[in-house]
Amino acid sequence: MKGALAVCWRDIQKFLGQPVLMVSTIVGPFLTLILLGSAFGGAITHAPIAIVQESYGPYSSNFIGILQNEQTCQFGGIECQNSFQLTNVPDLDTAQQMLHAGLVKAIVYLPLGFDDALAANSKVTVTVTLDNTDPLSAAAIGPEVAQAGQQLSSLVQTSAAYNSSMTFDLENAYRNVLYIEFMAPGTFVQAIMFVSIIAGGVQLVVDKERGIIEGYLVTPLKKYEIVVGVLLSGVFKALFSAVTVFFLAVAVAGVRPMSIFPNPNASEITLTMVTLFLTSLGLIAMMTAYAVRSTSADLYRVTCFPINLILYYTSGAIYPLKGMPTWMQEISIINPETYSIDALRLLMYKGAGLQAVIGDFTFLAIFTGLMLILAIVAFRRGI
Amino acid sequence: MNLAVETFGITKRFGDFTAVDHLNLKIKHEVFGLLGPNGAGKTTLQRMLVTVLTPTEGTATVAGADILREADKVRERIGVVTQASTLDVELTALQNMNLYGMYYGIPRKERLEKINELLKVVGLADRAKIRVAGYSGGMKRRLEIVRALVSDPRILFLDEPTTGLDPQARAAVLEYVQRIHKDHGITLVITTHYLDEAENLCDRLAIVDHGKIVAEGTPTELKRKISGGDIVEADFSSLPDNALKALEKADFVLGVKKRDGGLTILVKNGAEAVPKIVSLIDSNGGKLRTITLRELTLDDVFLEVTGRSLRE
Repeated sequence: MKGALAVCWRDIQKFLGQPVLMVSTIVGPFLTLILLGSAFGGAITHAPIAIVQESYGPYSSNFIGILQNEQTCQFGGIECQNSFQLTNVPDLDTAQQMLHAGLVKAIVYLPLGFDDALAANSKVTVTVTLDNTDPLSAAAIGPEVAQAGQQLSSLVQTSAAYNSSMTFDLENAYRNVLYIEFMAPGTFVQAIMFVSIIAGGVQLVVDKERGIIEGYLVTPLKKYEIVVGVLLSGVFKALFSAVTVFFLAVAVAGVRPMSIFPNPNASEITLTMVTLFLTSLGLIAMMTAYAVRSTSADLYRVTCFPINLILYYTSGAIYPLKGMPTWMQEISIINPETYSIDALRLLMYKGAGLQAVIGDFTFLAIFTGLMLILAIVAFRRGI
Repeated sequence: MNLAVETFGITKRFGDFTAVDHLNLKIKHEVFGLLGPNGAGKTTLQRMLVTVLTPTEGTATVAGADILREADKVRERIGVVTQASTLDVELTALQNMNLYGMYYGIPRKERLEKINELLKVVGLADRAKIRVAGYSGGMKRRLEIVRALVSDPRILFLDEPTTGLDPQARAAVLEYVQRIHKDHGITLVITTHYLDEAENLCDRLAIVDHGKIVAEGTPTELKRKISGGDIVEADFSSLPDNALKALEKADFVLGVKKRDGGLTILVKNGAEAVPKIVSLIDSNGGKLRTITLRELTLDDVFLEVTGRSLRE
């Protein structure tokens, strides 16, 4: 039994002697609490909505006013924010294009004769088209718009003492997208991130520690050849992982991307691959730069854990960004995973094409370029 | 190209610490040993010569090319076997060697022929397709050494090539290293702290300490630096002062050094000196426990020039 105590004491001493490892065991779970807790289940606010107004009058402007001032509250009504962020769009076609490109989450259509109908107390239908490829946002927006309608009705009632006959037609713009499908793109990016951390980074740190990199340097290999080789192999491994998870998601999890269903579509498949490629190259370059500058494999591993958590949870991978606190939304703006997940969703569930994802591609390309420069500079100095 | 390596006041400082201090060295086409205790600067010197470290001052030519201005040429002409293994143990011997040949841009056909030939020479041909993880320490070392020969280097740098090997594996590696020099005509630069290895293997040696060369020459030349012939090691149960003084004054004794528990005595002729020492101690009231006679070794030279023993 004394032996067991000695073994135990050794482990504890080693644990206490490595403050970074100690802190990481606390930081990891704590970050999970803050990030996952804040990311998931928040009320959707500032949801971008297109208003197509064909009727102008007191009722329609009143209705828009109600929508504009609609508040969504959390923490027992302490923190209230605007539910919607309205954009006036001239016609339904433009609005639908915006919805398709992911610029708005819903279209509220006030048809010609809206005001007249309400004034005359005859029946009127307001069409609300929802982007249900984001099922959580859609589920929140529909009822809230209807609630605004009820408020208007009650105003109409008090002024005219009649029962308003306004009804809402909630339309899904797309086929029913399951939550598991909404979540799937995040897992492809996660696969890329894991490869970047393990194969791209840890292996490099270990190779550095073992002197393999120095072994490279006494051969005629140029430093840039080493960087390019490391990055290429990383991209290969990351793509292999991501594509495998993609097909597993299709085969096992019931994910039905438009690039494959109902018929395989070459241009959608190509664009999906471009997204995965840019994401892989960018993340591999980022983790390579970090790994080259790391002094110990242990330190690298424990710091990668929180980096991965932050990037994953603030990317909108598991919940709509509009439902997250401001600070998380701010991180999401500079988070490359945000853009690749957005692009993947647009391509997979809307078949949205190059035009819709060009913004995401631009960000990813700039990010990847910066990370490549960083990796090359790190290699020059650190090796 | 008369010299394999020539350094010109080569110096490396790490902050305030000078690891290699204005060192001048000439290595011919021979087996050359760099000898020194840990931290003496021999590995730093070697890392500069193989272009991994940039000197703070001075420069060197290696295989006819300048290490600063023509590092690429140096790398093409040398092979390096580092102290820590850089083999990929997840890969087979063949894969390891093939990759190495690719780094040097050797055409595939030529590369594979060369690899097969080398694996045969080192006795690993029948295991070429086994993962290196299953190799013994000695086999790994041999593989690592032949791997460096794929590129036909003019100079092969070996850093502590037998450290961590059992005596049998060590002998096999050493035998092979000797053959590389004889059969392939490759200059070898070996750092080591095994004196017997240096003595048997090297044509010439340099002893490095505090970043400088403190002695240089063939093993025989180095040993001749200590005038005289043999060493007597004596341990005592008791050694009165007058016995020690008598010993120091005796005409057959060239020098006496105290060490833990006894004395190391340098004498002209060991066979004659031993009985004389015994009777001299006896007559002065001292008591011997053991007395051994041995030939002068490089360790004695080492002790003389650095004030330290390598075996400590």
